[in-house]
Amino acid sequence: MSQDISHIRNFSIIAHIDHGKSTISDRILEQTGTVAARDMQEQLLDTMDIERERGITIKSQAVRVSYTADDGQTYQLNLIDTPGHVDFTYEVSRSLAACEGAVLVVDATQGVEAQTVANAMLAINADLEIIPLINKIDLPAAEPERVREDIEESLAVPADDAVLASGKTGQGIHDLLESIVYNIPAPQGDAAAPLRALIFDSFFDAYRGVVALVRVIDGHIAKGDQVRMMATGTQVLVEEVGARKPVEEPLPELSAGEVGYLVTGLKDVRQVKVGDTITAAHGGVDEPLPGYREAKPMVFTGLYPIDGDQYEPLKEALEKLSLNDPALVWEPETSHALGFGFRVGFLGLLHMEVIKERLEREFNLDLLATAPSVEYHVFVKGGTMVALTSPQEMPDPGTIERIEEPYLKAKVLIPPDYVGAVMDLTVARRGTFVTMNYLSPTTVEMIWEIPLSELILDFFDKLKSNTKGYASLDYEFMGYKEAALQKLDILLGGKPVDALSFIVHKDKAYDRGRVLCERLKEIIPRQMFEVPIQAAVGGRVLARQTVKAKRKDVLAKCYGGDITRKRKLLEKQKAGKKRMKAIGNVEVPQEAFMAILKVDD
Amino acid sequence: MGHDPYRALYIHVPFCVSHCAYCDFTTCAMEAGAPVIDEYFEQLISRIRELSRAGELAHIETVYIGGGTPTHAGAKNLASLLYALGVSMRLSPEVECSVEANPESLTERLVNDMWALGANRLSIGVQSFDDDVLRTLGRAHDGKDAHRAIAIAQGRFDNVSIDLMCGVPGQTPKSFEQDVRTAIDLGVAHISIYPLTIEEHTLFARMVRAGQLEEPDEDVQADMMEASARLLRQAGYERYEVASYAREGYQSRHNTAYWSGVPYVGVGTSATTMTQNAQRRMRVQDGQVVDDLDAVEMAAEDMMLAMRMARGVSFAEVERAALLLPRLNAVLDRACAQGLIVREDGRFKPTEWGWLCGNELYGALLDSATL
Repeated sequence: MSQDISHIRNFSIIAHIDHGKSTISDRILEQTGTVAARDMQEQLLDTMDIERERGITIKSQAVRVSYTADDGQTYQLNLIDTPGHVDFTYEVSRSLAACEGAVLVVDATQGVEAQTVANAMLAINADLEIIPLINKIDLPAAEPERVREDIEESLAVPADDAVLASGKTGQGIHDLLESIVYNIPAPQGDAAAPLRALIFDSFFDAYRGVVALVRVIDGHIAKGDQVRMMATGTQVLVEEVGARKPVEEPLPELSAGEVGYLVTGLKDVRQVKVGDTITAAHGGVDEPLPGYREAKPMVFTGLYPIDGDQYEPLKEALEKLSLNDPALVWEPETSHALGFGFRVGFLGLLHMEVIKERLEREFNLDLLATAPSVEYHVFVKGGTMVALTSPQEMPDPGTIERIEEPYLKAKVLIPPDYVGAVMDLTVARRGTFVTMNYLSPTTVEMIWEIPLSELILDFFDKLKSNTKGYASLDYEFMGYKEAALQKLDILLGGKPVDALSFIVHKDKAYDRGRVLCERLKEIIPRQMFEVPIQAAVGGRVLARQTVKAKRKDVLAKCYGGDITRKRKLLEKQKAGKKRMKAIGNVEVPQEAFMAILKVDD
Repeated sequence: MGHDPYRALYIHVPFCVSHCAYCDFTTCAMEAGAPVIDEYFEQLISRIRELSRAGELAHIETVYIGGGTPTHAGAKNLASLLYALGVSMRLSPEVECSVEANPESLTERLVNDMWALGANRLSIGVQSFDDDVLRTLGRAHDGKDAHRAIAIAQGRFDNVSIDLMCGVPGQTPKSFEQDVRTAIDLGVAHISIYPLTIEEHTLFARMVRAGQLEEPDEDVQADMMEASARLLRQAGYERYEVASYAREGYQSRHNTAYWSGVPYVGVGTSATTMTQNAQRRMRVQDGQVVDDLDAVEMAAEDMMLAMRMARGVSFAEVERAALLLPRLNAVLDRACAQGLIVREDGRFKPTEWGWLCGNELYGALLDSATL
């Protein structure tokens, strides 16, 4: 017996980081009796350690909650938890496409912040009904009235009926559930029509193969159905459908309006892509749901094991992570300085950081990452194009006709006061101003065209600090444009270190080279000999610094009680050296390879 | 475990008049004459008697009463302690018996009492004669106190040592060199020279973190250490260890014991006892085992400690240690090539460079235990 569609509510919870999205989710599960209080652990929906620690959500989640409202009727509420970072904007948009409403959590002591705006925009653009929720009202510093006005002014979202709640005490959760039932529309869809279901996340399970999280738009889907993924053309027999509560519970079927999971038995997560449409293999629809996009890596970095013996374990770890992450691509790469490693492509910088951290923690690897790069299109004389993701592979400059680099259309939201600051930063990063709109008296939208390579330097951090944290950034790939680019080499002790090379615009080469030499001078510790650092383009030295030879490095006092301590200090020093990479005879700390990321213009 | 006899005795007195900004030793700022000090000394004495009864003090060749500031405990307590020592072990003139003192608490009466009761070496925490430097360090004395204390000490003791510090924020090379010259002019028998290190959990460490204090500059400290080495060599002092200079015959035998793998017993709060036999070396502090080394680790540690000393290690010692330390010869060859040590008179000896960059050398030696 399928669920009456009028009693379904699909929603997600969106918030600025630390405004309490996860605790609100936790309280909903607790107060609806979905999870017994004794089984509660914080941030229940964030299953990865990294998600819990960093307070971020990387993978989407869907939990079904049964709620008997004050009207005496029982409703099926589907809470879809979405990633909260610009790297995953596409994934977020697909998750939101599975909902009819969104709960916008705003901290009663902080008010509307950058991510609140960005996430609210995404939800508004997805035509979702928004329920503002003012959280943490139990705190003495809470100012619900001010925050209410803030929401109305900067987001143009009516907040008269905003729910006042505390994720900590559970106050207001009942009001929230009632508001969800009354304000969020029931899904529309025709259970009798041919099947159309949206995949909003997928992951690989060693025992069951690829599992998809889906929202059924029309029709229904049951165990044993033969279905087809429209973008990939993959056909598969459905092995199981069900709902997560949050423990998976198999169901006879999922029908129009419902959210649930679907077990495919497929071995490759790339066959079940986020945003793809599932339809019946026979008698299905011809037109997929709108909004599908191929996940394309935008940022590339070299990942090298610090200990050469860890090359094979690194390869195995990448294989394992790829099972669950279709956006992760990689191929072997060799560096003179760093040995054997991999060129790995990511959706963005956060994706890169998260993967690196997972490789180090879950697989116990010590890794060194080179500065991130983008994919350049190098046209050599005679017309062939080489796609270049690593500066090391740059062809001889004499053979190059032109180089094109990827451009983004970037949207920056800021209060009007910061227009000048954003203008300065973006122009310095070779951005081209396109247009500017006032979304409300307190929010300006600026549109820019900017090279991706500039954005992956510390652009986001800079943008944040230059706007006191108010700016939010969203971007999409625009296309390739020609630019005067060249390879800049770094030499240590007179020898070029390939892993430190990067591609830079001609006009920026001198400044970047100078700043990088200065940064490296600070990062590279004094050694037993002098280490000259040079930045050069095509053999022409642009900048030079010197790390002086070590003069003094001794634990002067060493009496009876000191010996143990001093020996342990020496052991620690040795462990510290292990975290460095010996390039020739120069010990180079890992952060040197990322130094280019922190260029202060 | 059955162990080799202890040959050095360390007694810790953790009380000071005030806590210095750079010090991370176990100390406790305490008013002179506080009852808790008397109680502490009673416990020290009981423990010494206990060790004596157990026969553990029969082979003691050196005694060091350190702190804190032993002299801050007052004449009565120090006299009781030295008296108890005299009846618990052989405290003859051949036994080196040092007492640490700070200038502000050293009186003529105290000096006379200590001398009479068997102490024969005084180590005075002068640090500097420059009032500005002393203020920065948070010391309780000034330059005048330092001169006075040295004069009083030298009235009875020929073996007087002082500590000097270099690389203190605000200290100029001129001021430091003047400190060294003053020490030479006063004719002290032994001088220890330490570069200031910012230790964790000190006021200085907090100030550095808060940006209120500049971290000591490596080059400035190296310059000062080199300058003091030169001045003291010219004045006839021998540098027998990284930080230790002595006129002939006045090397500290107690400290040398620490650097020569000699077993020592410690009495008092945080004092370390090193117990060993041929197979095993253990260090115990406040009832906790802080070190438990096997023969291989012991050999590596002995190499590291020996290289602190000018005499270094003999080829014969290296040959013996190399049986346990597979990489020792390679490490020594590399250190020679780097100029950290030299082969001289059948021994490996540290160079000036090897002294200044000691960690490089000691780290490599510790490492010689691993394949």
